[in-house]
Amino acid sequence: MTLYLPIAEMSVSVLVYLALGMSIGFLSGLFGVGGGFLLMPLLTFLGVPSAVAVATSASHVVASSVSGAITHYQRGNVDIKMGLVMLAGGLSGTYIGVGAVKILRQAGYFDFTVAIMYVVFLGIVGTIILVEGINASRRVKATGVVASRKSGQHNWLEGLPFKMRFPRSKLYMSVLPPIVIGMFIGCMSAIMGIGGGFVIIPAMIYLLRMPTGLVIGTSLFQIVFVAALATILHAVENKTVDIVLALILIAGGVVGAQFGTMVGEKLRGEHLRVLLGAVILLVAARMAFDLVMPPEDVFSLAAVAGGS
Amino acid sequence: MLRYLPAVVALVFCAVGPALADAPKESVEADASTRQVAITSSFTGTEILVFGAVENSVQPSPEAGTYDVIVVVEGIPAPVVVRMKSRVGGIWVNTQSMRFASVPSYYAIASTRPVDEVADRAVLDAHGIGFDHVRMVRTALSRTDATDDATLQAFKQALIRLKEQERVYVKSDFGVSFIGRSLFRATIALPPNVPVGPLTAHVYLFKEGKMLGEYSNRVMLQREGIERYIHEAAMSQPLIYGIVTVLLAAGSGLAAAFAFRKPA
Repeated sequence: MTLYLPIAEMSVSVLVYLALGMSIGFLSGLFGVGGGFLLMPLLTFLGVPSAVAVATSASHVVASSVSGAITHYQRGNVDIKMGLVMLAGGLSGTYIGVGAVKILRQAGYFDFTVAIMYVVFLGIVGTIILVEGINASRRVKATGVVASRKSGQHNWLEGLPFKMRFPRSKLYMSVLPPIVIGMFIGCMSAIMGIGGGFVIIPAMIYLLRMPTGLVIGTSLFQIVFVAALATILHAVENKTVDIVLALILIAGGVVGAQFGTMVGEKLRGEHLRVLLGAVILLVAARMAFDLVMPPEDVFSLAAVAGGS
Repeated sequence: MLRYLPAVVALVFCAVGPALADAPKESVEADASTRQVAITSSFTGTEILVFGAVENSVQPSPEAGTYDVIVVVEGIPAPVVVRMKSRVGGIWVNTQSMRFASVPSYYAIASTRPVDEVADRAVLDAHGIGFDHVRMVRTALSRTDATDDATLQAFKQALIRLKEQERVYVKSDFGVSFIGRSLFRATIALPPNVPVGPLTAHVYLFKEGKMLGEYSNRVMLQREGIERYIHEAAMSQPLIYGIVTVLLAAGSGLAAAFAFRKPA
């Protein structure tokens, strides 16, 4: 069964994209990540124009994050105040990011920038997660208990002004770090078509020192809104959101996510992290390979925006 | 071309002259099988048939090859950027680009034999017949250090090659066949990724390198039904379209979470 996509202007096999959505959903349920970082490269690999892939991935992130956010909210695992502060930065970052996409597309550097950002971020984050996961599973093997981090360390972040009390996280800190982190993630997510969970979660744990129990819920809370804004802005500014493609992917994704969650509950956290790190590094390596290898054709075509 | 104009005029006068009244001038009439192609959600490409007849044909048999017919189906012209990558510090980056003001978005050509055998360069260039003769105007907005003709040609060749790979430029050297002394036909393939917009079908009749007649027709290519509705919404109401997408995405996420909820 094939379907003609109204915005991507191509005829695609529904089953292939349903299966793609399902596998991404499975992995995102398994690892507790949005899966945007896998979806966007796979879409371009299947021939979807990269700008459409980025914009449509953003809508997929909304679908895959919203149910998690609600669940965490009901269990009281969301620090709304912290989420809102990060969101303030996140929304402005998204706005900047979507504008950057528009400029980069016109200049012909969009594909290149996206590829570089993927290689750099996925490379760094994948390595950290992998190494940390391996160390953690070794520790568990050696001692049988997961070591807890030391708390109460001081750093320069605590010297910043505009301090605010976050009772839910039991923190008294400057609003600048969460705003800057939110802004950075928002900008990144708009350009790369990802939710950014794999960057924002470590940032919240190591930089903001939030209690781990609140981190996932709070990050999902703000990712939902950032991805929703990214989708709307991409639709308005770049006209690259393909609603038909989005719905096929989401339909597969939400079902796959449920199975992923079931399997994930049976696996050990450290093993999951090693797996996730490996998957992220694989994607980064694949994109780095494309950048370094001589292309099949040094020439490429692009329609001039607003030209048709 | 202008050099031959007196000769052409003379020929025309001869043709209507009483001496040649028994051999009237040949001309061409043609049409496309479909005037309107609908792009619906099940569109996977289609074919149109272009057919026509040579009036006052003196061709003894369909195989005689007295006439050459060239069928060109063109999409609306649009500006295009061709970019070239080169290696910068070990990675491949777009460094040069050339912008063409108007290039046919779709170009299919079928002929009784390769077009370069049918007529000479000047005639083909004048009518934009054949990949190498399509009008492509380079604009000042190009970003390249070289401005010589070789570079221009390299970019043009790349443009044609890439368009051929996308299957929006199609050439069929023996795609027009005569099925009678005067009747001819050609099928033109419209791929699934054909740019949406009106198409123009041209039919040219040649005899011994001279153009005897030309016939043009429009084929409408437009979105229909739900495709049209969605595309129009995305283009004219982008804000509402974006919000609807988000609501649908959030709704399906919630619906799935609810449907699969563990019995607590």
